[in-house]
Amino acid sequence: MLSVSIRKQRRDFSVSVAFDLNPGGSLALFGASGSGKSTVLSCIAGLEEPDQGYVRLNDVSLFPPGLPLHKRSIGYLTQEPNLFPHLSVRENVHFGVKNSSNGHFSAGLAEWISELRDRLDLSTLWDAPASGISGGQARRVSLARTLARRPSLLLLDEPFTGLDRQLVRKLIDDLIFWNQKLGFTMIAVDHQAEVLERLCPQQALVLEMGKIMQRGSWEELRHAPATEQLRSLLSPL
Amino acid sequence: MMRLAAPNLCIHEQGKIDTLTNSRKWLLRGAAALFALALLYPFTAFLADVGPWQWNESVRGPALSSVRVSLSLTALAMLIIVCVGTPLAAYIARCGMRERLIWQAVLLLPILLPPLALGILLTLAFGPAAKLGQILDRYGLVMTNSPLAFVVTQVYIGMGYFVLGAIAAFDGVPVMLEKQAALLGHTPLQVFARVTLPLSRLGLAVALSLAWVRAIGEFGAVVVTAYYPAGIPVQLWVNLQSFGLPSVMPLLVIFLAVALPFPWLVHVVAQRKRHA
Repeated sequence: MLSVSIRKQRRDFSVSVAFDLNPGGSLALFGASGSGKSTVLSCIAGLEEPDQGYVRLNDVSLFPPGLPLHKRSIGYLTQEPNLFPHLSVRENVHFGVKNSSNGHFSAGLAEWISELRDRLDLSTLWDAPASGISGGQARRVSLARTLARRPSLLLLDEPFTGLDRQLVRKLIDDLIFWNQKLGFTMIAVDHQAEVLERLCPQQALVLEMGKIMQRGSWEELRHAPATEQLRSLLSPL
Repeated sequence: MMRLAAPNLCIHEQGKIDTLTNSRKWLLRGAAALFALALLYPFTAFLADVGPWQWNESVRGPALSSVRVSLSLTALAMLIIVCVGTPLAAYIARCGMRERLIWQAVLLLPILLPPLALGILLTLAFGPAAKLGQILDRYGLVMTNSPLAFVVTQVYIGMGYFVLGAIAAFDGVPVMLEKQAALLGHTPLQVFARVTLPLSRLGLAVALSLAWVRAIGEFGAVVVTAYYPAGIPVQLWVNLQSFGLPSVMPLLVIFLAVALPFPWLVHVVAQRKRHA
């Protein structure tokens, strides 16, 4: 269970949100650019500390006090793949996975990494330097690296920005597949409703100026949007 | 006709651009060569008529001893500078702007001082006249005219150069990469070893080279704090005073031969690994 209740003062407004999410569940954070969505994710991941409140994941308190980042079982994907440029694709994917005492992976872990490599089409770039691959390939590597650790919670902060529709569709399918297989909890942020609706079909939470304006299914949001801004965001171009 | 002419024109224009780029490249290369010639011009003084170079026993013995002193004690000073300066620079690079400015002012002070003045201050602060000097002396730590005094002076001389350079090197490592590494389960020390250090190594190499060349060539401060054991710069001065220019020249050649390889190799290794 993920329990979040945070307040974080930003320069122009205060972000104040509270929600619970069942293990394995998914939640879409939807809103216009600058509405505070990324701040919420950042506070949950531990990149920023909330001014007040708490964050708990499966009975472990992430805040307060701030649990060190390396002790959090959280995967965090952002617009930037943030690959380690001095390492190869393989080394990037292995980065978060602990070796056994003799320096090798257990059979189960090796099989899991092979599955990630094959499903995300990384075999041909496996030994390539991470600094020399394309943006789309880097996103796939970043996803493999994050999932290799089998996080309890996956935070997605607009990780598909700038990618072509075909790749976005593929990555969403992969994420849904692994979400069902691994049972991690997932929170996704995006300003494109169609991306979020596919990724987190059950429920969405709408943010405006750091406040929750509406929470419900996508159907409810479309049928009775709580604000004019939400109506505008959901309407076709 | 037009349709045929257009591609030809394109090819011609492309060729023109290539030629321009090539000639610009040669122009820049020529300018760089001129700059290098100007920079290296003083070294033509090695060909100056100063009489036959002197390398007899009275010059050779102290000269070789000064090489040993300079290389071993400067290496020790660099070890201290790297061990203390690297974590300090990593801390300063990630602390708040105000605190960082204070640290940078502190680091600039020993760099800013004329070396002679720094030598005088070090002697007054650590020498037998100072309380601290007396306490250290009681424990056998002699702070004037000793190997310890030599190393301490070089640490004071080189530390600021290394730390300021290292801060700039660490600044070049995106903080988000370090945070991502931490979220992937790595402790701060592991993040530093596996992400921060490898990504900043070229800048660290430059910082270390600067500290090395500054320290090994230091004369003004060392001549006050550690006239004995004489390093190469002090020995050059002694040779000049005692035997004149003919005894300076061979030691200068030796100085270049022993002082240059280390910083140069550091650059080579850092750049090769970067492009690997």
